Amino acid sequence: MPNVTLVIDGQTVTVPAGTNIVDAARIAGIAIPVFCYHPKLKPVGMCRMCLVEVWTPKIDPATRQAVIGEDGRPVMTLMMGKLQPGCVTSVSDGMEVRTTTDRVRFAQKGQLEFLLTSHPLDCPVCDKGGECPLQNLTMQFGPSTSRFDYADKIHFEKPIRLGDLIYLDRERCILCSRCVRFQDDIAGDPVLGFDNRGRTWEIISKSDPPFDSKFSGNTTDICPVGALTTADFRFKARVWELRPTPSICPHCPVGCNISLDMRYDRLMRVMPRENDYVNEIWICDKGRFGMRFIESPERLRQPLIRKGDTLTPATWDEAIALIAEKLIAIRTHAGAAALGGLASPDLPNEDLYLFQKLFRQVLRSPNLDFCTGAPGEPAIIDLGATLGVGKGTNLSNLGAGTSVLVVGADPEEEAPLYVLRLRGIAARGGDLTIINPYPTKLDRTPARVIRPRAGAEAFVALALLKTLIEEELIAADFVTRRVQGFDELKMRLRNHSVASLCDAAGAPEDVVRSAAYAFAKADNGIIIYGRVALASGADLIDALADLALLTGHVGRPNNGVIPLIPGANARGALDMGVHPGAGKKRGLTAREMWAAAREGRLRGMIIAGMDPVRDNPAAAEALDALEFLVVQDIFLTETAQHADVVLPTASIAGREGTLTNAERRVQRFRQARIPEFNTPAGWDVAQRIARALIALGVKPTAPDGQGDGRGASRTLAKTAATTASSDQWDYAVAGDVADEIAATVHGYADTTYESLGLTRKPQWGRQPNEAIFYDGTSYENTEGVGVQIAAEADNPKATFTLRARVPPLFATNDAYPYTLLAAPRAYDGRAWSRDSKLLPRMVTPHLILNADDATALGIAPGGLVQIASEVGCAVLPAQIDRNLPRGLALMPDVDGAPLSRVQTGPLTRIAIMAHISETVGTR
Amino acid sequence: MIGTIFKGLGTTLRYLFRKPVTVEYPEVKRPVRERFRGRHQLKRFANGMERCIGCSLCAAACPADAILVVPAENDPAAPVSPGERYAARYEINMLRCIFCGYCEDACPTNAIVLEHQYELSFYDRRSSILTKEDLLVPPDKGHGEIPPILQQLNRRPSPPAQIDL
Ligand code: SF4
Ligand code: SF4
Ligand code: SF4
Ligand code: SF4
Ligand code: FES
Repeated sequence: MPNVTLVIDGQTVTVPAGTNIVDAARIAGIAIPVFCYHPKLKPVGMCRMCLVEVWTPKIDPATRQAVIGEDGRPVMTLMMGKLQPGCVTSVSDGMEVRTTTDRVRFAQKGQLEFLLTSHPLDCPVCDKGGECPLQNLTMQFGPSTSRFDYADKIHFEKPIRLGDLIYLDRERCILCSRCVRFQDDIAGDPVLGFDNRGRTWEIISKSDPPFDSKFSGNTTDICPVGALTTADFRFKARVWELRPTPSICPHCPVGCNISLDMRYDRLMRVMPRENDYVNEIWICDKGRFGMRFIESPERLRQPLIRKGDTLTPATWDEAIALIAEKLIAIRTHAGAAALGGLASPDLPNEDLYLFQKLFRQVLRSPNLDFCTGAPGEPAIIDLGATLGVGKGTNLSNLGAGTSVLVVGADPEEEAPLYVLRLRGIAARGGDLTIINPYPTKLDRTPARVIRPRAGAEAFVALALLKTLIEEELIAADFVTRRVQGFDELKMRLRNHSVASLCDAAGAPEDVVRSAAYAFAKADNGIIIYGRVALASGADLIDALADLALLTGHVGRPNNGVIPLIPGANARGALDMGVHPGAGKKRGLTAREMWAAAREGRLRGMIIAGMDPVRDNPAAAEALDALEFLVVQDIFLTETAQHADVVLPTASIAGREGTLTNAERRVQRFRQARIPEFNTPAGWDVAQRIARALIALGVKPTAPDGQGDGRGASRTLAKTAATTASSDQWDYAVAGDVADEIAATVHGYADTTYESLGLTRKPQWGRQPNEAIFYDGTSYENTEGVGVQIAAEADNPKATFTLRARVPPLFATNDAYPYTLLAAPRAYDGRAWSRDSKLLPRMVTPHLILNADDATALGIAPGGLVQIASEVGCAVLPAQIDRNLPRGLALMPDVDGAPLSRVQTGPLTRIAIMAHISETVGTR
Repeated sequence: MIGTIFKGLGTTLRYLFRKPVTVEYPEVKRPVRERFRGRHQLKRFANGMERCIGCSLCAAACPADAILVVPAENDPAAPVSPGERYAARYEINMLRCIFCGYCEDACPTNAIVLEHQYELSFYDRRSSILTKEDLLVPPDKGHGEIPPILQQLNRRPSPPAQIDL
C-alpha cells in the first residue's frame, strides 16, 4: 500500500494509506483518547472521544489543485468545518491533525461530562477501578465537576447475569459496543446485541444458554468500564493489590500467555498476556476460569503408601525408599523391560525430560509413553518435528495470500484460540478450507467446507494431491531440490482420477479442485490437523505431508503443518522422548503396556500426572495385575487409587518450567506462589527417585539419545561437561534441568531460561502510550515471547520422501451400520474443572445423531439410546443434530463417556437402537 | 546565698498550692482533643448496617501498609452493608499503624474513624492485629441514616462517594 505523509501535532509521520488518524498518532507516539476504538476491532465511531481537528489542503474545484496561499504554502481548511472522529477518519496526504487545541480539549471535556451524566459513583466498589479507562481519561481530560443533577441519573437494577460467567452492570455501560463487536467479528459467536434505545439502551445476550461462547471472558477485558465483570473475579480484590505472575495456560496445545494474578498466595484471577505469536491479547474461558483447581481442597498434600486396602499418609523419605527398593527388586527378578512409565502430555518439559532420563538412564527401560492406551485413542502421528511451521511463523500477521487447510480438527474444542487466529486470517483476506466429517463452529468462518465421509478423509487429501499433479500446480523447483519419490507417487495415483477419489471421500469435486488450486497458488500455506485426522490414521497424515511438500509450503516462516495433538505439551513429550520410539531400543506403547501387565510381562509402573484408568476398565485391570505402581499427581485420581505409592506434586502455580506449544514455541512460566503444601515439582520427584536408586547401587548409563535420538550424538562434544555432572542428578532448580535440555535435546539449544529471557524487551513491548488502548485489557508481555525451535524442514538441506498411498475403503458392516467417532470437547469435566465457574458448562456423556437417522430409529432428543459394537454396549442419552451426516454418530470424549466400552479403534462400527427402559422390559 | 535558697523554696511553696498538671493515670484519664487520632473504629449506620463497603481504599492510602481488606459480595437477602460489596475480613496491625489518619481521609463512606482510645498495648505481636470484630462498633452505636440514594426501589446501587456524616 502506498504511504501517506501527514503532520500530527507538529510531528511529520508516514503511515500506510488507509490508516486511521488514531493509529497514525499512535505510531507518532501521540495518544488520542478513545473508548469505542480498539486496535484489534473494526472502528465504529460510537463514542466521539477521539474528536480531533483535521486540516486538509484546500482544493480549487476548477483546477483540482491545492490552493496556494500568499506565503507559498497550501491553504488549509478544517475538514467539514468541525471536529472529526479520529478512529473513523483515514489519513490523507498533506493532512494536518491537531489533538491538543482548545477546541479539542473542550470537546473531550464535554464528551466525558456526557458519558458521566448517568454513570454511577461506583469506583470504590467497581472491579475495574484502578485499571479503568473511563476513570483514567476522566482524570486526564475530564471536567472535575458535573453540571448535571445527581438525582437525574438513570438507575438500573444492579448486576444482571449475561450468562453464568459474565455479569452486566448497565449503569456503568457506556455503550461502546466493543463487547458486541468482539463477539461478532473476532470470536464468531454473535451472542450479544443491543436492546431498547435512548437512556434505556442496553446490552443483552441473544443466545440460549445466555452468553454461550468460549471466549466470553475477553469482553470483560476490552470493556472500557466495569460494566462487564466475571463471576470468577467479582469483588475478589482491587487490581492494584494483585501480583501478576507470567504463566502459560496448561490446558491445550495453543499455550496462551497468561498472567496468574495473585494476592499473597491466593489466585485472584487469570488474565491474558500479550503475545502476537500465540494469543494476541485473548484467551479462552477454559484458560481464564479453569485454573481454580490449583486451590482445590482435594489436592494431595503428602505421600501415601498402600497398607492393605488403604492408602495411608507417609513421609517423603519412606515413600521414596520404598519406591527405590521395589523398583530394584522388580528389575532384578524380571529385568528392566518389566518396568514402564506413562507421563501426561500436560506436564512441563523439565518433568518430562527427567522422567524419561530416569527410565532410560537409571532404570534402563525404554517403555515410555504419553498416551493413555484407551482402545479408541488414535496413534499419534506427528508432522510437527519434520514439516512443522517454519521458524518465525506469526499467524496474526497472515491474511491475503495465505491459504490454510484445517483437516479433521475442531479447533474450538481442541485448541480454542486457533478459532480466533483462523478467523483473523480469513478476515484479513486469507483463504480457508475446512475438511471435517462433521460440522464445527469454525464453519461459521467464511471458508470452503468439504465434508468427507468419516474415515475417508485421506481420499480428500489424495484428491487434492491428484489435482496438484494433474493441473501441474506443484512447486517444481522445491520438489526437484528437496523431495524424493515424486514419480513413485504419480505411479501410485495413476489409476485414480480426482473424480474417483472425491467419490470415495464423498466430497464435491469442484470444491476439492478449488481448494487445491487456492492452496498451491497461495504465498503461504498452512495445514492444521487434529484429533479426527489422527483417528483417520497414517494414510491421511502422509497425504497431508505430501500436500505440504508438493506445494513447497514447508521450511519457511508461515508455511508448514500444525498438528493439534491432545495435551498442552504433547510437542514437548515428543521432543523430550517420552514415547516408545525415541530411544535406540523400541519400547512398549501404553496400549502394549496394558496387555503386558495383564500377562505379567510388565511388573512395575510409574504414572505421572495421568489418569488412564478413568473411563477405561481394561487399564484398571492391568494396573491391578502389577506388582508395584507409583502414581504422581496433584489429585487422588482413579488411577492413584490403584497405586502402591502416591506422590503429590506442585501445580503449575507452585513451580516454574517451560511448555512447548503446537507451533513448537518453547515458553516459560514462572512460579506464582510457594508450592502448595510444600509439594515438589514433578522433575524433583523424578530426581528424588533417581538419587535413591543410585544410592542403592544402580549404575546409570550414558544417555541413549533423548529426544528423537539425534540430539545426543550431535551435541555430545559440546556438552560433555554437563552430561558428566548430570549423572549425579544434582538439579537444584528447574533452570538446571532446562540447561541440560538445551544441551542435549535436538533443537532446544536456544531454550535455556537465559535465552528465553532475551526475548523480552527491547524486542518486545508496547509503545509508551498504549495504555490508552490496552488499559485493563491484558498484560504487557514482560516475560518474553518464547523461542520457536526449528523444524527439520527449516534446514535447507533436509530432503523428504513422498509417502502417500491409496488406502482401502473403510469397511462397512451391515450388522453395525453406524460409524462412531469420539469428538473432543474443551469442557470435558476432567480434573482441571474442579471448583471452576465453568462447571455448569461441562458436557455430560451423550451421543449425537443425525435427525433423519434418529427418526428412522425412533429416537427422540434426550431419549436414551443403546449402542453396541463388536466389543460391548452402552446406554446414553441422545442429542439430535440435523447437520450431522447420516450414518455418523459422535460421542463427546468427556468425563464418564462410555467410549472405552464400545470402541474397537479410533473409528468404530456400531449399531444403534432406541433404549427400552428395563423396568418396561421386565414387566 | 541564703536569699537564693529561700527564693527557690518559695517557688516550691507556691506550686504546692497550684492545681497539678499531671494526672493520676491510669486511675484518672486525661481527655483528648476532638481531633485526636487513636485506635480505629469501624462505624455503622443507624440501622446497624456496616458502613464499610470493602473497597480497600484505606489500605491503599495507608503509608505503613497496616490494613488488610478482603472483600466479598453481599447476599441481597441479608446484606452486611448497603450496596453489593462488603468487607469479609478487615484487619489493622496496630504495631504498624502510624496514626496518620490517611485511611480515614480515603474512606468514601466514613466507615473507618480514628477515635479517642489511646491505650494500646499487647502481650504478643499477634494480638496487635485487630480484626473486624474488634474494630466494629456495636450495632446500637450506629449513626446516620442510609442516604436515600442507597434505598431506592429495592435496587442495590452502591454508595456514592462521601455520603453524609
Ligand atoms: S467503570 Fe470505571 S469510572 Fe465507572 S465506576 Fe467503575 S471504575 Fe469507576
Ligand atoms: S458492556 Fe462494556 S464493552 Fe459492552 S458496550 Fe458496554 S461499555 Fe462497551
Ligand atoms: S486456547 Fe488453549 S491455551 Fe489458550 S486459554 Fe484456551 S485452553 Fe488455554
Ligand atoms: S476505605 Fe472505608 S469503606 Fe473502604 S475498605 Fe476502608 S473502611 Fe471500608
Ligand atoms: S468514536 Fe473514535 S474512539 Fe469512539
